Amino acid sequence: MSLEKVIFGFFVLLAATLNFGFFIGDISDPALHNEYELFAAVVVNLIATVLKFGDRTQIGAVHLATSLVADLQLIAATLAWVYATQISGAGMTGEATASVVSLSGGALLANLVSVALLVIETVSFNRR
Amino acid sequence: MVARQHPQGRTTVARPTEPSSTIFLILRRMRAPLIVLIVIFAVSVLGLTLMPGQDPSGRPTRMGFFDAFYFMSYTATTIGYGEIPHTFTGAQRLWVIASIYLSVVGWAYAIGSLLTLVRDRAFREALALRRFTRQVVHMREPFLLIVGYGQTGQLLGHALDSLGRRLVVLDDTPEHVDSLDIDAYYADVPGLVADGANPHMLGAAGLEHPQCEGVVALTNNDEVNLTVAMTAALIRPSLPVIARTVSPVIEHRMRAFGSPTVVNPFDRFGDHIRLALHQPSSFQLLAWLIKGEGATRPERGRPPTSGRWVVCGYGRFGHKLVDDLRADGLEVTVIDLGSAEDGVIVGDASEPSVMARASLSTAVGFVAGTHNDATNLSLVAAARKENPALFIGARQNRPRNAPLFATMDVDWLLVPAEMAAREIYAQLSTPLTWRFLQEMPARGDEWAAETIALLGAHCGSQLDGLWKVTLTAREAPALMAWLDSDAVTPRLGDLMHCPHDRDQRIAAVPLLLLRGDESTLGPADDVVLRPGDQLLFAGRRIARRDLLDTMTNHVVSEYVLYGRTVPAGWLWQRVTGRKPSTLR
Repeated sequence: MSLEKVIFGFFVLLAATLNFGFFIGDISDPALHNEYELFAAVVVNLIATVLKFGDRTQIGAVHLATSLVADLQLIAATLAWVYATQISGAGMTGEATASVVSLSGGALLANLVSVALLVIETVSFNRR
Repeated sequence: MVARQHPQGRTTVARPTEPSSTIFLILRRMRAPLIVLIVIFAVSVLGLTLMPGQDPSGRPTRMGFFDAFYFMSYTATTIGYGEIPHTFTGAQRLWVIASIYLSVVGWAYAIGSLLTLVRDRAFREALALRRFTRQVVHMREPFLLIVGYGQTGQLLGHALDSLGRRLVVLDDTPEHVDSLDIDAYYADVPGLVADGANPHMLGAAGLEHPQCEGVVALTNNDEVNLTVAMTAALIRPSLPVIARTVSPVIEHRMRAFGSPTVVNPFDRFGDHIRLALHQPSSFQLLAWLIKGEGATRPERGRPPTSGRWVVCGYGRFGHKLVDDLRADGLEVTVIDLGSAEDGVIVGDASEPSVMARASLSTAVGFVAGTHNDATNLSLVAAARKENPALFIGARQNRPRNAPLFATMDVDWLLVPAEMAAREIYAQLSTPLTWRFLQEMPARGDEWAAETIALLGAHCGSQLDGLWKVTLTAREAPALMAWLDSDAVTPRLGDLMHCPHDRDQRIAAVPLLLLRGDESTLGPADDVVLRPGDQLLFAGRRIARRDLLDTMTNHVVSEYVLYGRTVPAGWLWQRVTGRKPSTLR
């Protein structure tokens, strides 16, 4: 067991779970989507991305790509949230909440692919 | 990173690095600092949103994520716009103090890591390789790949560069590659510090580049030269390879792969000595032509052809030299520090007692051939003192000692580095010259003396240039009708008239005529020319321009070949009805 693999798996999985936690619930109800959870998802996703830097294998490259997609989606969700709360003046209406949550839903998909890759990598790894 | 099969079935060496490798290296090294930075930011922002605050009316409030991120961004980057959206409470300030110090540590760590990376050797090598590979890939002109850029390489590099040839250099010594930046070159010469024996590096240096026109292996290590010659022969079998070696064994192994041109300076020196002993004029001509453009005629040496020689230093050079001298029936006494062979005087030649045993007073020639320049100089001085009439030869190892050897005024000076560079230069710059030099000794000493006299009569004691002329429609359009005509026999002599005054001859001497694979040395004026012939001329620069005029201008060629003056302009040609007959 290598500590590096534990940390890597931990962050990849945590990114997906936090993302899922934020996403779950009625898409237009702001009460069901906690902004702290979104913040945590962004931070953990960024860390997971950096952990994937510099791996030159094929699967490493796909890992990095999925993480970058998740980052992009989550940052877009954050910007939508900033627009709703700071710029539009209307606050978290049902529509604004729906757009933030649906963007994070896209990120969730990318994170699920990431987890799937992790599982594939683990299964196909045979100790030689 | 293994050799892969080309679509055409040819083996190629894979590039050692993809262009993105430097980016990967940066990313890999920056992983830890970036994560630290992200964590510090996240903790600071999160803490700031949790700290209890107050609005101006004193009601408890909390900072939003957006404000907290905004605040941390300008605080961590030391910009500092003040406390927004409301004045901070004590608890918030306490947290901000902690975050400021945390973020300073984070930035210092990240920037420090980045700077370390830039200073890092592996990173710089990766950058240099990347830059070099890109430069080589973008070469659009034919270039020569020189492996080993020491004395010989630099001499050759400068000579070829001033000819307008492009080069790519590979050497494992950083100083040699640095000399590319320090010395003045006309063209940009890409250079890389790398092991030439590594096929991947040869690949990066353009061995597989379609514009690569040849490989020259000049390292001081014979094994490396052998590997380079082998690699080139295996990867690009048709590519010309020139390799230097001083060992006959390596030479033999080199020839096992393809047909490289092997240059052995010691061996060549032996050939030159035999030539100088038997055919002083041939040797004089060789020495003159091989020196290249602008060389003044060397004095004819008169080495003694009978009598006893004394040779100091019995290494590879000494062996070769002594063998050559003995093969010519000369008696040779050898002095060496540690040779166990029979008939060798063992001892330090600079000691008077050792020198006395060689009895220089009865010898006719003396060669100081050790690998140490200071020793060679002192030996020459000592030998001269003993017997001023001696014919003196010396070996110069380092270029910086050239002035010392020049003041010693030795009769024969061997500079192995220079000799190899000149030979390779002659082969690469004008292959016809090389052919001439190879075949010239067979014509005998008298013929060489006549050629020297001819050159002296036409060009003086300084050789302005050697140039090649090909009688094709491309190079000599104004001569094609004359060459093909049935009415006249095109003879070489007709071509040699001066375009200004037909009774005069241009100041050039034809040295060689090459037709197909058949060569004629020193073609006479009545030699019949044919289209496609190649001619090698030696002569003045003005003669070269005159000849070029004759070859390309129909009006000039009409005058030179037939002595007829025709108008140059189209209108006057129509009006007078006189058109150049060379115009088809």
